[in-house]
Amino acid sequence: MPIELLVQALLNGFALALVYVLVALGLTLIFSILGIINFAHGEFYMLGGYATYFGVAVFGLHYVPTLLLAIGAVGLAGVVAERLIFRHLRGKTLNAFIVSLGLLWVLQSGAQLTFGVLDKPVPSAFSGIIRAGRVIISVERFVVVLAAVGLIAVLYGFLQWSRVGRAMRAVAQDPDGAALQGVNIEFTSMLGFAVGCALAGAAGGLLAPVFAVSPPMGALPVVKAFIIIIVGGMGSLPGAVLGGLLLGTVEGIGSLFFSSAAVNVLGFLMVIAVLLVRPRGLFGAA
Amino acid sequence: MPPSPALRRALIGYGLLAAGSLGLPLVTRDSYHVDVATTILMNLVLTMSLRLEISTGQLNMAHISFMGIGAYASTILMMRGGYSFWITLWVAGVMAAVWAVPIGGLALRVSGPYYFLITFAFSEVVRLIFNNFFAEWFGGPSGLVQIPKPDPLRLAGVQLTFVGKVELYYLMCALLLLAAAVLVRLDYSRFGLVGNAIRQGDVLAETLGVWVFRYKLTAFVLGSFMAGIAGAFFAHSHQVLHSSDFSLEPMVLLVVFTVIGGTGSVWGPVVGTVVLTIASEFMREFHYYEILVYGAVLILTMLLLPEGLISLPGKLGRLVRRGGGGEAEAMGAGVAP
Repeated sequence: MPIELLVQALLNGFALALVYVLVALGLTLIFSILGIINFAHGEFYMLGGYATYFGVAVFGLHYVPTLLLAIGAVGLAGVVAERLIFRHLRGKTLNAFIVSLGLLWVLQSGAQLTFGVLDKPVPSAFSGIIRAGRVIISVERFVVVLAAVGLIAVLYGFLQWSRVGRAMRAVAQDPDGAALQGVNIEFTSMLGFAVGCALAGAAGGLLAPVFAVSPPMGALPVVKAFIIIIVGGMGSLPGAVLGGLLLGTVEGIGSLFFSSAAVNVLGFLMVIAVLLVRPRGLFGAA
Repeated sequence: MPPSPALRRALIGYGLLAAGSLGLPLVTRDSYHVDVATTILMNLVLTMSLRLEISTGQLNMAHISFMGIGAYASTILMMRGGYSFWITLWVAGVMAAVWAVPIGGLALRVSGPYYFLITFAFSEVVRLIFNNFFAEWFGGPSGLVQIPKPDPLRLAGVQLTFVGKVELYYLMCALLLLAAAVLVRLDYSRFGLVGNAIRQGDVLAETLGVWVFRYKLTAFVLGSFMAGIAGAFFAHSHQVLHSSDFSLEPMVLLVVFTVIGGTGSVWGPVVGTVVLTIASEFMREFHYYEILVYGAVLILTMLLLPEGLISLPGKLGRLVRRGGGGEAEAMGAGVAP
């Protein structure tokens, strides 16, 4: 097989997978801080998409400031959701599952009623292609990749060095211990939930020009995000990045040989294979 | 010796379930009502068996896949092998149970959210296989059609047929009462007690000499067997099968019924399934807002009644008596999967 084809396939796989990593990072951050799996996470991705659509296509703003506004708006929506609902469910996985399901239905059907069922195209801010030998990537996708990598780096720095970020990691490790050290659990949880939602919103905003926006658009990325965090290990941020790269590789190379239905099975088979060897995922704590 | 209060409650509960389900056709024979009621009874087998698994602390998101395995097994055996429904029905359960051993064995290596997610991955693989592979057996994306209804049964010289809606209702009723008898008996036995112990702290249970893994696997296999039986009934009463019948969406509904009802009691899923199914029939009045309202109801119920609808009488009672009520404690606390 020509090596260019392989590189091209990997590149295509990675471009999307990196955005799904953003969704997965939000999901895993919320899980590690609040101990719940937020099934409505894809709906925050959808909100990010719609915010971008309104900024660019309706109000005619430039794409970049719109994306930043969208991230902020979805983060704010996360604050509201945490204060009204999720703070009552910290650590109650089963109840949180049902509630986030209810929220999923409320947001999705709410979006359908307000925005309509039809797909809305978002005009692309970047055109043209980049050519390296026989490998081709559109400038749009290249920007998406750059932005995703940038956001991952910012998140890493925030969690590693900022005061609140370190508080978040402390709460994830041991809420009681963190509280004893003077960490404000309520505030940290709220902020953690908001940052998680904002990451999903960023992913939605980044992919809005690539795909169109629609009320059920959050379903696919959230399933991919689940695959990524199971493979990487729940609650592990490096695991999420590695899981995303693995998924991108498997899907990119898989698409050369198999039908798209078989590629979907491949993702789940990868999950099962990894869990057979490491039941808690590659980076999961024992 | 008079029966213990727990046993008396179990017998009263079972009596109410039997009287309610057997008596319904005396009240209404309207085909829409019977349809809804048959679906409720079938879902009861699924939610009550799902609760058996949840009561050992594990939320199995692949429960519906075992229903699917049962449905396809029974259909293929009848349509290709020419076997009678009264054989394929049990083979469906056994087939689901046989698949449950390796799948459960693998999944139960992890617990909590990991278990939840790995069983979800399994259910997607099973669904994608039904949908995309072995199309000559499973019918591919178009599914299987023209599945025959259950064969007539000769019982003590009487010929029973299962063609009409009410006849199928009574068949499902018999299956439910059989399954419920087993599940209620288990819940009020040593098995139920140990299950409770595992849910509250499986490490502690293990140190006390409980073989937790075998215990959870037993619940998994038994639950899957029942799901397989429900699947066979589903296949031959609907007469059409499609992979989407066993997807995330109906699975999620089963979990909603079970948890909203309350997983602390064997009767929780019964309350949840009946109340939510009837409520959602009424919510059709809201037309476009149906899903929105349904979602809001779920959120509010879980925030106000974390232990499910089954805890409502106990809560009200405590509110009235103020400070009394050791009774409600017996219902058990909320569960983490």
